[in-house]
Amino acid sequence: MASKVHQITVWARGVVQDKEGRDIANGLANAAEKDGKFTQAFDNYVDLPDRVNVPLRKYARISDEEIEERYEYENEKPEIVIVADATIVKGMNILRGMEKGGMLVVATDRKPEDILKFIPNRDLLSTIVCIDAKAICGEQTVDFSGSEGGVDSLGIGQGISAPILGALARGTNLVTLDNLAAVVKNQEALRKGHEQAVVQALN
Amino acid sequence: MFNIPKEKAVPLGCVTPAPVTEQPMMITGNWREFRPVLEPEKCDLCMNCVVFCPDACFQLDEAGEMVVLNEKYCKGCNICINECATDALIKVYELDFDDGVVRLETPF
Repeated sequence: MASKVHQITVWARGVVQDKEGRDIANGLANAAEKDGKFTQAFDNYVDLPDRVNVPLRKYARISDEEIEERYEYENEKPEIVIVADATIVKGMNILRGMEKGGMLVVATDRKPEDILKFIPNRDLLSTIVCIDAKAICGEQTVDFSGSEGGVDSLGIGQGISAPILGALARGTNLVTLDNLAAVVKNQEALRKGHEQAVVQALN
Repeated sequence: MFNIPKEKAVPLGCVTPAPVTEQPMMITGNWREFRPVLEPEKCDLCMNCVVFCPDACFQLDEAGEMVVLNEKYCKGCNICINECATDALIKVYELDFDDGVVRLETPF
């Protein structure tokens, strides 16, 4: 029997956070690959082409054995949900399909309680991580490099994706900070995100 | 040019009913990061926001005395804030409000 595939869904704003959302999914998959795990990262086909500020999804999968559902194009049961722009929690059912005991990572300057009050199905969560990514490294990068198989000239993790990935490493043991540091370009933001993340266990 | 019998001829173009009310298939309220908030004492009803809103979110209220925002469809482009003649509109971060939750299952 195949081992469990860990599904990670990233929510980001269309166009303005397209690169950041993709960096989070790619950086996570590349870092986990350095542990010898089987990984993949891809855009949501349904959400594209994106328009400015549309909520869109990026997916990553991490598994100890070969991923059998490699060509399934959506994460039906995300274990970790990452929200790159906190206002998305008001507009989408971001925890759709999640089983009990999941994790939520939100890039926000607010406290975890302020985010949780907008999530009616919050009892599915076991951990919430909040990280003020914009305060750590300013605005996000707006760039199309790396999209649709193009060459990524900027590299992974120049903008707010670096502190979000650092915060993610605080809440889960799917990836280690050292492996992320080997992938992410903005090392300082990654470590700051790891230190400043507000981790709160629920239930 | 063509000899089409009159009973088989169709008029040029076609006619579809125009949306006269809201379009529940195209809710764009969850695109919004910053919401325009009206300060009623500054507003002189110049109607710039009504004209410039690409989604017709600003409408006069029933009494015709003030413009009201339809948050379900406002996608936060903030054009209204730019166009407001009396600076009666300010932009406020969406998480400062408890209302205006759209919560769709899929983006669109």
